[in-house]
Amino acid sequence: MRERKYTVASSGPKIERFLRPLLKAAGFKLDFQIVDGESVHPEVEDPEVVVKLTGPDVDLLLSNKAELLLALEHVTMEALGVPSDHHALLCFDANDYRMLRIEELRLSAAAAADRVKRTGTPFTFNPMNSRERRVIHLSMRNETTLRSESVGLGSHRQVVIYPAGMPSPPQPAGSFDRRPPRGGRR
Amino acid sequence: MKNLIEEIAKALVDIPEEVSVNALEGEQVTVLELRVAPSDLGKVIGKQGRTARSIRTILGAAGMKLNRRFTLEILE
Repeated sequence: MRERKYTVASSGPKIERFLRPLLKAAGFKLDFQIVDGESVHPEVEDPEVVVKLTGPDVDLLLSNKAELLLALEHVTMEALGVPSDHHALLCFDANDYRMLRIEELRLSAAAAADRVKRTGTPFTFNPMNSRERRVIHLSMRNETTLRSESVGLGSHRQVVIYPAGMPSPPQPAGSFDRRPPRGGRR
Repeated sequence: MKNLIEEIAKALVDIPEEVSVNALEGEQVTVLELRVAPSDLGKVIGKQGRTARSIRTILGAAGMKLNRRFTLEILE
């Protein structure tokens, strides 16, 4: 078994001390359990510790693409001083949202790939966060006739799937996007 | 709500004694002014403003439960 950087025993009490009062002060009707991570999609997400939230406010937590869930996760990571390259090792979840979202993204990627192959025209996804974009890039990994890259800045960054030989269009004038394309491994 | 922002900010910064939150009640909106030590500003804002955005999301959701709008101003 691999060595864990984070365990329920080491991180649990710290999460508990920060999150419990926060949920109370915010008036959220939510409870949580901290459990060992076990991932259904280890190549995409393989958390060591999972905070599972339950309660009447789960709908609020998951609305708008789980905005509140991800906000609570981010603030907790920062409060615990978890370095950003370890953020994926601690994961917040409710109603298996994370697993279902990965499956949803994979289905979208497959449908978009089919479409690009059929029509020969690029397909642009809605803006996504880096973790979600990564899922799309990973699902394009074995596509020899397609390539994927992310364009745009910050919260507007989105994945585009191109036929493999098609060059990217020049960035519009005034664009501050100087990041090189970051396609999935091909 | 003031308490919520204070707790989150104190957990994020290096100098919790310098965290203060002032609430300005308007008719529709309550403005929460957060002050932290200058050296801690980056801690509450985060890379690309992500931490500040997360705090605002939490505040917005908490406000929704009270049927009241809150805005967070981080003062330099």
